[in-house]
Amino acid sequence: MTNRPTNLPTDPIFSLKDAALRLNGNAGPVDILHGITLEVAAGETIGLVGPSGSGKSSLLMVMGGLEQATGGTVLAMGQDLTAMDEDALARFRRDRMGIVFQSFHLIPTMTALENVATPLELAGHADAFERAAEALASVGLAARTSHYPAQMSGGEQQRVALARATAPRPAILLADEPTGNLDSANGEAIMDLLFELRDRHGATLVLVTHSDALAARCDRIITLRDGRVDSATRKDVVA
Amino acid sequence: MSLSLATKFARRELRGGLRGFRLFLACLALGVAAIAAVGSVRAGIEAGLAREGAALLGGDAELELTYRFASDAELAWMTAQATAVSEVADFRSMAAVGDDRALTQVKAVDALYPLVGSVLLEPDIPLADALADQGNLPGAVMERALIDRLGITIGDPFALGTQSFILRAQILREPDSAGAGFALGPRTMVLRDSLEASGLLSPGTLFNSKYRLTLPEGTVITDLEAQAAQTFEGSGMRWRDARNGAPGVAQFVDRLGAFLILVGLSGLAVGGVGVSAAVRSYLSRKTEVIATLRALGADRATIFQTYFIQIGILSLLGVTLGLLLGAALPLAAAPLLEARLPIPTAFQIYPAPLIEAGLYGLLTAFIFTLWPLARTDRVRAATLFRDSWDGASRLPALPFILATGTAIAALVGLAGWFNGSWWLTLWTLGGIAGALLLLTLAAFLIRIAAHALSHRLRGRPRLRWAMAAIGGTGEGAGAVVLSLGLGLSVLAAVGQIDGNLRQAIAGNLPEIAPSYFFVDIQKDQIAGYTERLENDPAVTRIDSAPMLRGVVTRINDRPAREVAGDHWVVEGDRGVTYAARPGAQALITQGAWWPADYAGPPQISFAAEEAEEIGLELGDTLTINVLGRDITGTITNFQEVDFSTAGIGFILTMNPSALEGAPHTFISTVYSEPEAEAQILRDLATMYPNITAIRVKDALDRVADVLAGLAAATSYGAAATLLTGFLVLIGAAAAGADARTYEAAMLKTMGASRRMIAASFILRAALLGLAAGSVALLAGTLGGWAVSTFVMETDYTVIWPSALMIIAGGIIATVLAGLGFARRALQARPARVLRARE
Repeated sequence: MTNRPTNLPTDPIFSLKDAALRLNGNAGPVDILHGITLEVAAGETIGLVGPSGSGKSSLLMVMGGLEQATGGTVLAMGQDLTAMDEDALARFRRDRMGIVFQSFHLIPTMTALENVATPLELAGHADAFERAAEALASVGLAARTSHYPAQMSGGEQQRVALARATAPRPAILLADEPTGNLDSANGEAIMDLLFELRDRHGATLVLVTHSDALAARCDRIITLRDGRVDSATRKDVVA
Repeated sequence: MSLSLATKFARRELRGGLRGFRLFLACLALGVAAIAAVGSVRAGIEAGLAREGAALLGGDAELELTYRFASDAELAWMTAQATAVSEVADFRSMAAVGDDRALTQVKAVDALYPLVGSVLLEPDIPLADALADQGNLPGAVMERALIDRLGITIGDPFALGTQSFILRAQILREPDSAGAGFALGPRTMVLRDSLEASGLLSPGTLFNSKYRLTLPEGTVITDLEAQAAQTFEGSGMRWRDARNGAPGVAQFVDRLGAFLILVGLSGLAVGGVGVSAAVRSYLSRKTEVIATLRALGADRATIFQTYFIQIGILSLLGVTLGLLLGAALPLAAAPLLEARLPIPTAFQIYPAPLIEAGLYGLLTAFIFTLWPLARTDRVRAATLFRDSWDGASRLPALPFILATGTAIAALVGLAGWFNGSWWLTLWTLGGIAGALLLLTLAAFLIRIAAHALSHRLRGRPRLRWAMAAIGGTGEGAGAVVLSLGLGLSVLAAVGQIDGNLRQAIAGNLPEIAPSYFFVDIQKDQIAGYTERLENDPAVTRIDSAPMLRGVVTRINDRPAREVAGDHWVVEGDRGVTYAARPGAQALITQGAWWPADYAGPPQISFAAEEAEEIGLELGDTLTINVLGRDITGTITNFQEVDFSTAGIGFILTMNPSALEGAPHTFISTVYSEPEAEAQILRDLATMYPNITAIRVKDALDRVADVLAGLAAATSYGAAATLLTGFLVLIGAAAAGADARTYEAAMLKTMGASRRMIAASFILRAALLGLAAGSVALLAGTLGGWAVSTFVMETDYTVIWPSALMIIAGGIIATVLAGLGFARRALQARPARVLRARE
């Protein structure tokens, strides 16, 4: 069913060593992540699970360069994300990553087609709109290209977000509770679509979820607790 | 690449419509419209003056002489250059009907007058017919104000000096009136020949003669002007030509226009505060979009450009709306303006003032939006996961600061270049910048104070909520204090300056100023004149002095202008007198007065302050041209001359033997009890009909009228600023409406009544208005003090009625703006509001 590589390459796509995140809140500094050490192989699918406030989304942000680690190192495809400035990180995401958010984060003033075309345009693809149309067709929204986010249901919006994340064919897909704002039927459909797209392009997927069933579809499940890796379980071990 | 992409993104973003930008557009449009309208009106008047230059002047060119008519040789020169030469004499006199006398500005014309344009009379008869002899008496025409003042009707007789006239018509329009300058009395027009027997144009009387020339086709006006300057060198001749027919009016309109445009810039600055607030609010709504774009890989430049282009397009739209409004307003008001202005106008669309206003608008928009736009830099992709928007006000990066500084410099440079007075520009814009700084600081302090106070007001919930709201970030205390405060500051400054000036004119001067100026007292009349007054117990003081006019032509045998530049003393002719002894009040600062019987070479006493300005020293020689004769004298002393008391003050006094041989008259000031004034005037006018009396109070009233007009024009400018401020205020209230609705819902949930919540809302608005009004009063008072002390050089006292109105205005404006949006907050059902929040 999937084209997941059986022999994982030796060079990991993510390599985190003692990664830490400390944020300054109104009440003083708060340690969100403590010494996370983790390697993710290319093509691997990772499920990040754990209770609320355990640091799942923060770890995903650090891996996506959306948040800079305040300690340790974070290597993505061999590049040190902690050494890059905001613009370099943006370019890295543009060229290598697709991100799916729980709240979709579609740009309300853009149509579905324009939303999907945006990362392709940012990457300078001349055929951005053709590829965006294909991506929308692949998520079953060929007929909704000219619709604005406000004219679509939550499930449709998340499908547009999936198309936007996968259209540039990124090496890495990051998804933060992509079904969190959807009902169960829509959520299941979206997850099928996410895994199908990942399989089609062979991307590495890191998925934050509260759902054990969803996590079980990943190659590896990493459980976080209080900002630390509590346990890591391989699928074959689970099975 | 990033720019074209940013343009695409900006276009997509703008498809969301202009919702949220109404305040932005209104602020910018209103500010630009005010400046464009003032500029267009000024251009319309200037074009009218230029178009009607020859009519305003009464010919293609004019040569004006003081206290004398042109010599035969001078007339011959004029006749040789022109196809027609018309002579007009202009002077002040008294029009008398029985015992009743009124000051009038007489224009004695010849048969050729007017060379250009026509005099419109009521009844509609030709001027020549109106002025011609009918029966035994010559005809005359007068302005309505004088006819009413004397209580006569068409066909009634009146006298000028010893000559009687018959009033034939009322002057409706005098083509060259705008070029005549400031007049103390309404116009009477007669034929010069009719005045021969009046005794009013005898040698030494104060009159101006004007020679209007019609020039042949192809005359090069600049060449002719140069020739005239050479021919009439040192004679005090003043040249005007149709290129600028009414230089006084043109200069006045230009200066007033420039000042009003600067006042308009303060309106634009207030608008800028609103524009800045609108952009901040827009970008805070766009935080998620910006963060999403960053998550998708957009760099900072692309994002900044995306929003810069959007705001740029909106700024262009706002400026365009303003220009349309500013160009249309004068056109719409043209019939009204043309009817009220005594000068020709040509209202149409003029590109220059629109370009000026447009540039000001775009630069202001740039200055006030760049820093909020720079904050897009600080929106990180992580904002999508948690609220990591760094709302703290930090300075933007250096390039943004430099760009803002450059734009401010460009704005100041443009304003200075357009209005031509760097001094006025720097003072006004410096004042606006100072007021903005003061208001920003005040807003900060008010927030801190309110925040601190809110913790100490236990048991007074309404006041505590109000203080907490003002001290919080959501209420927009900064925007309110800045926008309303700047408008009120300008209004307060205008009120304080106007009030102090009026006080100086109406309050202080009459105590020390004379009741009357009498001019044109002939040498053989001065003894009888003095006797009449000295024997009057109501007269407390009489100062009389011989009065001649002279032009300082050379200083130490060098051309005076070469030495003194454009100092007013060497510009045109000045009053000159002679005296054997220094006056009773005179203060000699340097040198010594000549002996009372001195009859040697001419000696000069010069005004000390002006001498210092020009750089004159004891022993310097001055050549004065008096009635065509050069008199060279040596400065032997300097004396303090106080021109501010409305008494007699001469810049230059010579020993008697130097001047007494020249034809001249006397000028005199009389200080008397008010109740005796009328009798003095009647007696002197009966004894000496040629003498002209100028009631000082009337003259000061005329000056006060002109100043009142100026203050009114400035107040209209300030009102536009205030209107923009009120718009910003409404914007701030609208922006806080949701927060207030939520707050009201929360308070209701906890048991607060609507009355209680409404009281708190009113209280916070009133407190903010009070704060804005108080700070504005401080800024306006400082401005008023600075202008009164350094520019007007008058004493300064706070004008409290105006000050209190400013504070009351501040409170009323904020309460009105706040209440407008409080209704929805008070009426909303708590459950719905709170559910919507979840």
